[in-house]
Order: sequence, then C-alpha cells, then structure tokens
Amino acid sequence: MLFLKECKKVARSLTFWIYCIILALMFFTNYYSDVRYGESRPSAYEQDYGTKVVEDPDLIMDGAINSLMGEFASNRYICYPFGFYKAVSLKDNDRNEVEKLIQELTGTDHEGISEFMDEAQVNYVEHALSTYPEYVFNTMIVDKNVSYERFKEIMGEIDDILGGGSLYAVDSLAFNFSRVPMTYEEALKEYEDSITADTMTGALSRLFCDYTGIDLALIPVFVAAAFTAADRRRRMTELVYSRKISSLRLTFTRYAALVTTMFIPVLITMIIAAVQASVVYSGEELKMHLMFTTPTFWLLPEIMVVTAVGMLVTEIFSAGVAVAVQGVWAFISLMSGSNELYGDITKFGLMCRHNTLYHRSAFMETYNDFVFNRIFYMILALVLVCAAAFIYNLKRGGRFNGIRLFGKGGILRRKA
Amino acid sequence: MDNKIVIRKMNKFYGSKQALFDIDLTIEQGMFGLLGRNGAGKTTLMKTLAAIHKKKNGKISVCGIPIEKESEIRAMTGYLPQDFSMYPNMKTDEALDYLGALSGIPKAERKKRVDSLLRKVNLNEHRHKKVKELSGGMKRRLGIAQALIHDPKVLIVDEPTAGLDPEERIRFRNLLCEVAENRIVILSTHIVADIEASCEQVAIMDSGKILWNGTVQQLLDNARGHIYTANVEKQFLPQIKKEYIVTGILPQNEFTTVRLVSDAEPDLPNAVMTEPDLEGAYMYCLHSSGCEVKGGEE
Amino acid sequence: MVSGCLAKVVFSDAKHNFLIHYLAAVLLLLAAPIVFGFSGLDERMAAMPMEMISPVIGMILMTPVFMPEQNESIYDVVKSKKTSHTLVCFLRIILSAAITALLVSALALYMRSSDSQVTARLFVSTLGSALALGALGTFFAAVGDNAVIGYMVSVSYLVMDLFMRTKLKKFDLFTFTDGGTKVNPWLFAAAAVLVLAALIWRKYRK
Repeated sequence: MLFLKECKKVARSLTFWIYCIILALMFFTNYYSDVRYGESRPSAYEQDYGTKVVEDPDLIMDGAINSLMGEFASNRYICYPFGFYKAVSLKDNDRNEVEKLIQELTGTDHEGISEFMDEAQVNYVEHALSTYPEYVFNTMIVDKNVSYERFKEIMGEIDDILGGGSLYAVDSLAFNFSRVPMTYEEALKEYEDSITADTMTGALSRLFCDYTGIDLALIPVFVAAAFTAADRRRRMTELVYSRKISSLRLTFTRYAALVTTMFIPVLITMIIAAVQASVVYSGEELKMHLMFTTPTFWLLPEIMVVTAVGMLVTEIFSAGVAVAVQGVWAFISLMSGSNELYGDITKFGLMCRHNTLYHRSAFMETYNDFVFNRIFYMILALVLVCAAAFIYNLKRGGRFNGIRLFGKGGILRRKA
Repeated sequence: MDNKIVIRKMNKFYGSKQALFDIDLTIEQGMFGLLGRNGAGKTTLMKTLAAIHKKKNGKISVCGIPIEKESEIRAMTGYLPQDFSMYPNMKTDEALDYLGALSGIPKAERKKRVDSLLRKVNLNEHRHKKVKELSGGMKRRLGIAQALIHDPKVLIVDEPTAGLDPEERIRFRNLLCEVAENRIVILSTHIVADIEASCEQVAIMDSGKILWNGTVQQLLDNARGHIYTANVEKQFLPQIKKEYIVTGILPQNEFTTVRLVSDAEPDLPNAVMTEPDLEGAYMYCLHSSGCEVKGGEE
Repeated sequence: MVSGCLAKVVFSDAKHNFLIHYLAAVLLLLAAPIVFGFSGLDERMAAMPMEMISPVIGMILMTPVFMPEQNESIYDVVKSKKTSHTLVCFLRIILSAAITALLVSALALYMRSSDSQVTARLFVSTLGSALALGALGTFFAAVGDNAVIGYMVSVSYLVMDLFMRTKLKKFDLFTFTDGGTKVNPWLFAAAAVLVLAALIWRKYRK
C-alpha cells in the first residue's frame, strides 16, 4: 500500500530521526523535569497570592492615561512588537497625531497639555550612553465624556502609530493597567479548580502541549521540505511524473504519511507523560484520557499546517525557502505572544501557549478561540495541501517549473 | 622516469566487504582498456588509481611514485568520473578555470590552457553557457577538458561514452586517441566497441578480479575456434539460447542467423566457425574463467 | 602562485555557491530593526538583539560550506585535484567566519551609533555565540552530508537554548542576556573543536 511505503520512506530519513531526537530532548529537559513536583496548596498565612487581571474600566483608563502622558512628554514609548524591547521615538507628524488623541482623551487643548507637562515631576534617567528626562504623571484623568469604548479605540490608534506591541494595545490594556492582588480564597479556588475540575492531568496535558507546540511550530518543516524535495534531489521526478497515479492522490498520500509518522514520536511522549503523571500523582483522581485527547486536538493541527506549508512552499520554491518561511512564522508566533505565558490563545496564532500547571480559568476564558483556532488550522492545512497538489500537477505537465531566484528563468537572474 | 603504472597484489575493501582481490597489472603508455560488466570493480580500481580511494594493501606506483604520495599522484593524474558533474551555476569557462586553479596552475598559464582546451573539445562557442545548460555530450567534453587542464601524464576516464550518441562517441574516442600520445590513458567501459576502436592493451575484470590481461589481438586469438555462426529456425531460438552463449541474433527471411560462443563445435546443422570479434572474445573469456554468462537466455 | 590559486578557488566558490547565503544574512541584518529596538540600550538590553541575531547569521553563513559537493559526482572531480579539498573547505569556513564577524561588527557599530552600550566584551562574546552555532551547523552538515541536517540541528539548539538558557551552562549562547558579564571562552573552544571535527570527518568519511 502506497501510504505504508511512504511512511517507511519518512521513517528512514535522517531528518525524521533528528526530529525525534529534538522532540525527546525538549520533552525531557523541559516538561519532564518541570512536573515532578507540583506546587503545594496555598496557605492562609502567605503574604502574596499573586495578582489577577480584572477588566476594570476606571482602573485601566487611569493607569493608561498617566502612562501615556509620561511617555508622550519624554517622547519615548516602550514597545515589544515581537516580544523584544524597543524604545520608540515619534517624529513630529506622528507626535502631533498622538497629541490630538490625548487632547480628546483629556478634554484639553495644546496649551492644556503643555501646562500638564510643566507641572509634571521629571526624573533624569541614565540609560546606556545618554540621559533622558522621564516625566511622571499620577493625577491625569480621562474626560467624563469619553466612553470606555471610545477610549479603547483611541488606545488602538495610538498602538498602531507606535507600530504595535505598546502598553496601549487593546488586548494588553487590562494586563498592563488593571491587575489586582489575589485573595487567599481566590488563590485557593484557582488551585482547586486546576486539580479537581479536570484533575492534574488536565493541567499536565496543557503544559505538555505548550512545550511540545514550540518544537512542532518549526521542526516538522525540515522533515516535510526534505521529503518533498527528495524526488528532485535523487533525479527521480520524471520517473514519478510518468506514473499513473493522480497528483492529488500522491500528494495527499505523502502528506498523510508525513503527518502520521511525525505524530508517532509525539504519541510516544504522550504515553511517557501519562505514565509519569500516574506515578507522580498516584493516589489522586486522574482523568488519564486527557493526556491523549487534549494533546491530539492541540498538536495535530499544528503538525498538519506546518507540514502543509513545508510541502507547498517547497513545491513552489525550494526546501530552503520553505524552512525560512516557516522559521519566520514560528519566530513571530513565539515572540509576539502576550507577556503572560498562559491563556495566550488567539483565533489565528500558530502556537497556543499555556506554560503553567495552573490558571485553568485563563485557559477556559479563551476556550472558544482555542477550538476555533485548531479547527481553522486543520482546514487551512488541507487547503494548503490541495494547493500543493495543484502545483505538483502543473509541474508534472510541464506548465510550471517552480520559482527560482537565480539560474535560467530566475527572478534575480544575473546577466551572462 | 618510469612511464607506467604498476599494481601488485592490491586489495581494496569497503568496510568489511572486499571490492578488489589481488590486482596485478602493469599499464604502459598508450590506450589501456578496462573491460567488465557492471559491478566488476572498474570504477573502484579507477578511483584507487586516482588517489580518491585508499587501498587496503599491496603496491601501486604511478610513473615511479607510490600511490601514498597523494598530492604528487593527483598532480600528474587527470580523472574523469563516470557521472561527471560540476557546480551547475558556473559558466563553462569559469568551471574549467576553477578546476585549473585547484590543479595549482598559475593564472596566466590557466587562461591560455582554458582557451586552447575549449577549442580542442569544441566547446569554445558554448564557453559562456552555465554548466547546467550543457547537453550530456558537452558536459562529457568539459569533463575531458578538466582532466587535461594540468597536462597530466596519466588520464583515467571512467565509462566516458555511456549515454552518448554515435557521433559523440566517435568524436570522444578520437579525442582520447589524440591525447594518448605520450600519456597513459586508462579507459574503463562496458562498451566493447570503444575498446576495439582505440585500445592496444586490455584487461577484463569481473567480481573485483582481473580475469585476463594482454593485447586486444591476444584476446581475439584466445577465442579463435570458439566463435560460431549458424542459421536456425526461429522456433528453436529459445532452446539454443539455453544451451549456448548467444552473442548476436540477426533475423532473415526464413531463418535467423545466430552468433554464439561454444567450447566445442555446436550441435547445430549448419554451424560454421567464424573469425572472433572482440565482443565474442570477451564473452568467451568470461565463460572460460568460470563466470556465469547470460548471453541472451530468457 | 599557490596562494593565488587558492584565492581564486575561494572567491569563485563565494560568488557561485554561497552568494545567496551572504544575501540572506545581510537581509536578516537589514530586517532586524523591524523587530528589535537598537537605540538607547544599556549593555544587558543591547545583548538581547545582538545575541539573538548574531548566532543566526553564523548559522546561515557557516552551515552550507560543504553544500556544493553534496553531489557525489562533483565531489569526485574536486577530490581528484592536486589542491586538498579539505584545505578548500577550511578556507571556506574561514571566509564564512570572517563575514560573520564583519556583519556582527556592523550590527555592533550601528547599535553604538544609536546610543546603545555595546561594549567590547559584549561584542566578543556575541561573536563567540555566532561562531559556536555556525560551527554546530557545519559539523552536522558534514556528518549528515546535507546542509539541511546542519540547519535543523543548529536551529533546534537555538530554540532549545531560548528555553533552557542557563541550564546549558558554558554552552548557553545568551551569555550577557542571562546576566553574564564576561566573555565565554567555551563557545570559541566549541567552535574550534566542531570545525576541526567536521573537517576530519569529511576527510576520512570514505
């Protein structure tokens, strides 16, 4: 059967074995060592139970306007567009745009803003090779006529002007300006929720998926790209092209073989994780099926879409370009997540992050987005594979030869 | 200085698998043919002489220099591998220049040689084409040019005419004969016609061993009395193929003329002893050495 | 004469076989300001972009040094020449390492001109990270006889280091980002050992 033959081909490739080793290394060095000892139940006598995010409009607006005024006055905005620190200074026209928006928020005009700046406390901060003035505002308030909705719109506009990743990004407003300390009762509820609602295995499976998902956002593309490029590398393209099998069937069979074979090591680590859970938490009630169902639904779409991207881009360009494209996508997905590494799940993010055994409520708040996300990527993967089959068919009929950068017909071909 | 290659009791292994067994050969100046079927060990022997592979034991000297002195050997040996290829994005003249630089030829001298070699192998008008744009025959010609760029004493060409059309093959053979003056040229092939057309000396290999070594005439003499032709009816062909080594079948109107190798006169009604050709002599050599020969049997 | 031939070989290689990799590394450098802030950073903050970008540059440039001879036929031809193929590969590695150093220097100078505290020790340490990751790619490309294997292993090491950080101790690529203040000589040593091992493997692989 062709499917089994293709599975054997994948399993025999060196890239697949390196994929397995990398997966195993990540599993044992991160997840396996992290979950030996769970956190203990919170005590009633602790000083600090952590913080929680609340969507309190007043708190958010107060915090945001004071921070914004301070950064505006210094013309130095701290941003994390891709998860890395970036201090943005605006040019005059952008600065004027931001000032207009502040005027609307505060209900003042240009003179009013200047007065606020004159009254502000100024600290001189030594930073790297220079010193800059840091303006501190504590008493600014948002004009009563500005609704919370309008406020959020303005924050979004400011974030766009700053290039994204600022403190004023709408999704981050609550996190940045509206965190309150948790009480003992809340901390206890959070702890019990994590271990009773879906037992420790629910928590463990989410953590397992978080770590494994990082590898699966990139490493499968190497296996997929190398496999797809193998016919050309071994000068076998004409031999395969001239066979009876349809391009759609061949592409899907190879795709299924890649996904299936690459899922096997993930399944093995799932089994090891399940065994570990049953040993570490023996005596406690555990829902063992969660160690398999959650990771399958969480991780399989990721392998599917990364493999599909690998196949499609390799067919159009080359294996190298496929790796580069997926590398950029994985990097952006990894670094542009929120500052909290839990409940970081959006409708279209490649990686769903939940790097903790706790905060189940944060995960459940984004559950609908999570389900949408995984189904979206499953469907996207299948669409991309269809596209790969289409391209393969064009190449087979001699109607398309791929897009090359250099060489005869290359986009960047140098003149002879 | 010695102008010959001397090989004495040379053995070569790939891991634990022996590829060459007690090779004993002396190769003099001129064209030397190495004949054998696929997997006989010809390429392994060629690569060992080109100092690309290492022998396990035995002695090899090339023009008096032991094979262990790799750098000196490579300086006087030109090698054209069976499956010649070059960096695909280099232009033809650039590729030749590059390989000339690898051969240690100074710039001014290199330029002259590249120009003259491209003319010699008829690639001058294609010099600005990239290697990947060359046809099979042109690539092979580029291959011979790069093997000659440093004016080697020894030229080793591994199956140079495989896959070429008849015109290209003839052109290639003629080129080799030209360059064989004052050189040792070792030509390995499984195409007997190439040996027939150009080689004075020939060795036959099979399963890593030298079965026979001598002149082409001696090989033919060896087979005299063992090559026959016969006219047979078509219906008897399958049986004849089973009993004899058939080296040629020519369908005629009512009969089929077969050419066959046999130790003794074949038991066929009108079998006639024939002057041996090189192909038949080669097949007879394999047969008489105890090799399993499949000459047309189903 | 010998040096002239070697120079010709190395620069011809660079032009025909590695140009796209040089372009990719330069492109990465030019695209970096989109992701990272480069201005007004203290030493530790400056270490973040430097220690993130430089190893990737090293990996892009050093991993493919054996790629042109992945085709067995080409390998046979170049191996049969007087000039040692191992020497040619060694010179390719030196050239790639030199270009890596050049690009890392350009990054450091740009950051300094943007008011960031890029000290000499940070620069040297970052160079060590770049050469170490590049050499890792070189070694595995040699062993796997395929540049894809080299890239796969080095990218995976980088990702793993992002998560394991100080657990990798002397072989952590993010020395200064993780609070270190001294140049890590182990990375330079690792680079040298891996390059040597790669060359030895290539020389004796058959």
